[in-house]
Amino acid sequence: MSLRTFILGLSASFGIAWLTVVVVPYFKMRNLAPIALSEAKDGAKGFFYPKRTGRIADGALVYAENGCYQCHTQVVRPTYAGNDLYRPNWGGLKSDADRGDTRRETNAYDFFGEKFAQIGVMRFGPDLSNLGRRVETEYAAGGDPAAWLYERLYNPRNNPKLWRSNCPPHPFLFEKREIKGSPSADAIKVDAGENHELIPNSDARALVSYLLSLKKDQKAPAALNFAPAKKDAEN
Amino acid sequence: MSSDSTTTTDQDALLRASIDRSLRHPVMFFLTSGAAWLAVSILLGVIASAKVHNPGFLADCAWLTYGRAFPAHMNALVYGWGMQAAFAVIIWLMARLSRKECNAVGTILAAGHVWNLGVGLGVVGILAGYGTGMPWMEFPAFAWPVLLVSYCAILIWSFIQFRVRPEGHVFISQWYILAAMIWFPWVFITANTLLHCMPGHPVMAAGINAWFKSAMIFLFFTPVALGAAYYLAPKVTGRPVFSYSLAKLGFWSLAIIAPWAGMQKLAGAPIPFFLPYLGAAATALLFIPACAAGFNLIRTMLSCPKTLAESPSLRFTMAGIIGLAVLAVAAVLLNLPGSTLKMTQFSLSGYGFDVLAIYGFFTLVMFGATYFIVPRVTRREWLSRRLIKMHFLFSAYGVVFVALIALFGGLLQGAGQEDWQQPWEDAASRAIPYAVASTFSWSLILFSNVFFFLHLALMWMRLGRRSLHPTLLVSSHDAHGSSPHGEEGDIDNAGPGHAAAH
Repeated sequence: MSLRTFILGLSASFGIAWLTVVVVPYFKMRNLAPIALSEAKDGAKGFFYPKRTGRIADGALVYAENGCYQCHTQVVRPTYAGNDLYRPNWGGLKSDADRGDTRRETNAYDFFGEKFAQIGVMRFGPDLSNLGRRVETEYAAGGDPAAWLYERLYNPRNNPKLWRSNCPPHPFLFEKREIKGSPSADAIKVDAGENHELIPNSDARALVSYLLSLKKDQKAPAALNFAPAKKDAEN
Repeated sequence: MSSDSTTTTDQDALLRASIDRSLRHPVMFFLTSGAAWLAVSILLGVIASAKVHNPGFLADCAWLTYGRAFPAHMNALVYGWGMQAAFAVIIWLMARLSRKECNAVGTILAAGHVWNLGVGLGVVGILAGYGTGMPWMEFPAFAWPVLLVSYCAILIWSFIQFRVRPEGHVFISQWYILAAMIWFPWVFITANTLLHCMPGHPVMAAGINAWFKSAMIFLFFTPVALGAAYYLAPKVTGRPVFSYSLAKLGFWSLAIIAPWAGMQKLAGAPIPFFLPYLGAAATALLFIPACAAGFNLIRTMLSCPKTLAESPSLRFTMAGIIGLAVLAVAAVLLNLPGSTLKMTQFSLSGYGFDVLAIYGFFTLVMFGATYFIVPRVTRREWLSRRLIKMHFLFSAYGVVFVALIALFGGLLQGAGQEDWQQPWEDAASRAIPYAVASTFSWSLILFSNVFFFLHLALMWMRLGRRSLHPTLLVSSHDAHGSSPHGEEGDIDNAGPGHAAAH
């Protein structure tokens, strides 16, 4: 076997797979066509565009830099690939006051505004696809969702309900300041020592804003909705 | 010594000695700095693992938070140790097998320093909070062109040596090494340009990243380790490779199957449906090349049981090839789409698989190659049999613990994750006992590798034994009394021209 044949053989065996699973899918998905809503099925006009509000780009950066993706995923798999949809409030809310059952799997339009989808490495912690939704309706119901997240980030186990959490504390996202005059409205409710308070720094603010934007349970257009027809709808 | 008056054997010995001499500093540089990175990586791994079961540990230090320590650990392992060990083995094997001296020592050493600088800045970058958030590619974006350029400057010479070698047989090792040298830049450039320079769909970017991880294992570390093993097994035993056609089957099936693997990490994520399941199928099919090569090499090594018992190179290589066999079984068992894939996708098993591939297979074979190569390039024998034995004991048993615990602990953890009727904390806490065990066994590995590093550094300083007798794992000749070095322990290595210098 000459070097030429050898390299041709390698290029062919590698090149076909490289084109098929890497290059072509990457460039095809680069120009993902928006999904037009159909008036008959979706009851709305225009295009499907899951709206997200918050500091998504710089929050995602803080998320990446501090390795949140090592323990948290951001994908709710369809039922053929896992049981994520059955976990309480992972894929959306089972019974939202206005919208009913909002649970759905993650779709390709859920990551707008991010450069890299943090699908995640391991699940030491829960999936975060709908963390913003869960914080607002469940964990911090009636309170300030951002404040709940700040305290949670400062030290998860300060919250008696999370005593089993093995999430690391992130004191470095907070700045310890002397109280001059009246205490700051942003200060978290953690004892910071006499005459001192803890203020979230700019990274923490970006991160919390990003985490609160994680509400991937908007109604999916009919073209993307693979959920089986609801029983009560049939009746 | 004119060529007329010497025999072919003497000329061969001279050539080998001059190749070894020409490569002394590059090989020792890569091995020693690689071993230092290995120790750093394992230290970071111990810290990260300790944080899983003890989240308050070193909590105030932003640099060592789990989400930074863990990626620093993996990247130091892959680029600091793995790649550099591969460089040392590739440049030496290619020179020996192509029968060419190395003429670019200065360039290689300079590029090696640049590589280390790139890895160093990259690891500090991750710890300082500038990681990119893409697994195994967490180095800040400046690092990858630096690594790529220095890679080319280090290995282009081996490619040239192969091109200008005297006509003759191409060894199995050369196929694997040549293929690895071609695959790595292809994979590395693809993943880095797509993810850093040509932003595409974020989910597909995650898919490319998963493919990159798998390609690094199966298209670089695996062929380099197999190339080294296909050299060591016949060389040390003195027997031919068990089956040449099996070797061919192993090589080409790897070349055809491995590039498809990897995207099973994204099963259920919104990318084209066929990609993850094709990836799962390809990963399971890697059983074929792994078993072909593993069976072939094990049969070759078993042809000479006495040498296998005595030679440190063979013992490490054998352990590494057994690691490959376990890896092959794990590749099948962890990726069954109907049952196990959903449990292993986001559990400790993925880490176990990576560690098994990089440490349990690749690294152990690299240790085997190190124990063979270093005495030849330094012309000194290893100082202490006990150090080698201890290195083997802690490394092999340590990695068995880390990898198997993570693989099977991960399966249990995954079963907990899938059990949606139980609270999430139950699934999360299932991982904790395995994390405790993993911290413990990484500490053992760290202990053994600190000594390995010191042993290597002493060898580089040429403080090894001056002896014609290789350091074997069992005391050689009873007639020579109790000294493990034998009576000739002080005889200088007689230099080229003496047939024993092989």
